[in-house]
Amino acid sequence: MSSSPLPGDASNDPTTDQTGRFVRQPNGRVRPLSPHLQIWRFHVTMWGSILNRFAAGALSVGSLFVFAWLAAAALGPDAYAAYAGFMGSPLGLLIWFGITLAAAYHLTAGIRHLVWDAGHGLTPKAAEMWTWVSFIAAALIAVGFWIALFGSGRIVL
Amino acid sequence: MSTRARYIRHVKVSERHGAGEWTAERLSSLVLIPLALWGLWSAWSISGAGYDGALDWFRSPVNAVLLGLTLLISIWHMNMGLKVIVDDYIHKPSSRTTLLVLIGALCLLLAAAGVFFIVRLALGSAPLPAGLGA
Repeated sequence: MSSSPLPGDASNDPTTDQTGRFVRQPNGRVRPLSPHLQIWRFHVTMWGSILNRFAAGALSVGSLFVFAWLAAAALGPDAYAAYAGFMGSPLGLLIWFGITLAAAYHLTAGIRHLVWDAGHGLTPKAAEMWTWVSFIAAALIAVGFWIALFGSGRIVL
Repeated sequence: MSTRARYIRHVKVSERHGAGEWTAERLSSLVLIPLALWGLWSAWSISGAGYDGALDWFRSPVNAVLLGLTLLISIWHMNMGLKVIVDDYIHKPSSRTTLLVLIGALCLLLAAAGVFFIVRLALGSAPLPAGLGA
């Protein structure tokens, strides 16, 4: 099967195509039309990718809370007690949990990317499997960590 | 400026800095895997330990060194990641440059202040701001 258009075959000739599969770019060149977001068939890898970038952004904000903890420790007992008090409130614990979840997913998704970068797991089936593994592992790490924190009495509401 | 394209195992070698950035992103992720697990373990040991518990934790040189490494490598990794996001979504060159400079400055500030705090805590210096030279 030839992949290049046959001469005179209107359905494959970008210059005479009527199907809308080709567009004239602003620079005047005729190029194939990129698939729009709406016509991609759903794959879990899409969510894997979107959530990984979201987790990265959340961690960038979350790192400021970790940095504030470091600053509070350096500023002495009063600052530390005030910060620990706020971060020990339900809102503060929710922020810590969000940071844990974002970090856990960024970690597992990062490992998944390193596996892909090494050239493994790149068939659609394997890629989806690795994505599910990274979701489930991240949820287990984050939820398990917090169950242990509450269960051991280190953190009380 | 048409230098001859170079190939390694039939793959074209990057002519500019793209390959270096790619390698740096992977290298930092690889190093951050054990550091993240250590961070989780540290969060576990410090949780609910209070100010004195935190001070004890910082006095251990292993903790101080690993925290410093985690701080610097994650800021480096974060700076590269934020740059990719800005490159993807901000198309106006002047806005992009401004944002990247701001992000870079913030990262440098966080790294410098963070190392300063960690060193003081590891040495058992007096709480800030009093006794800056202590």
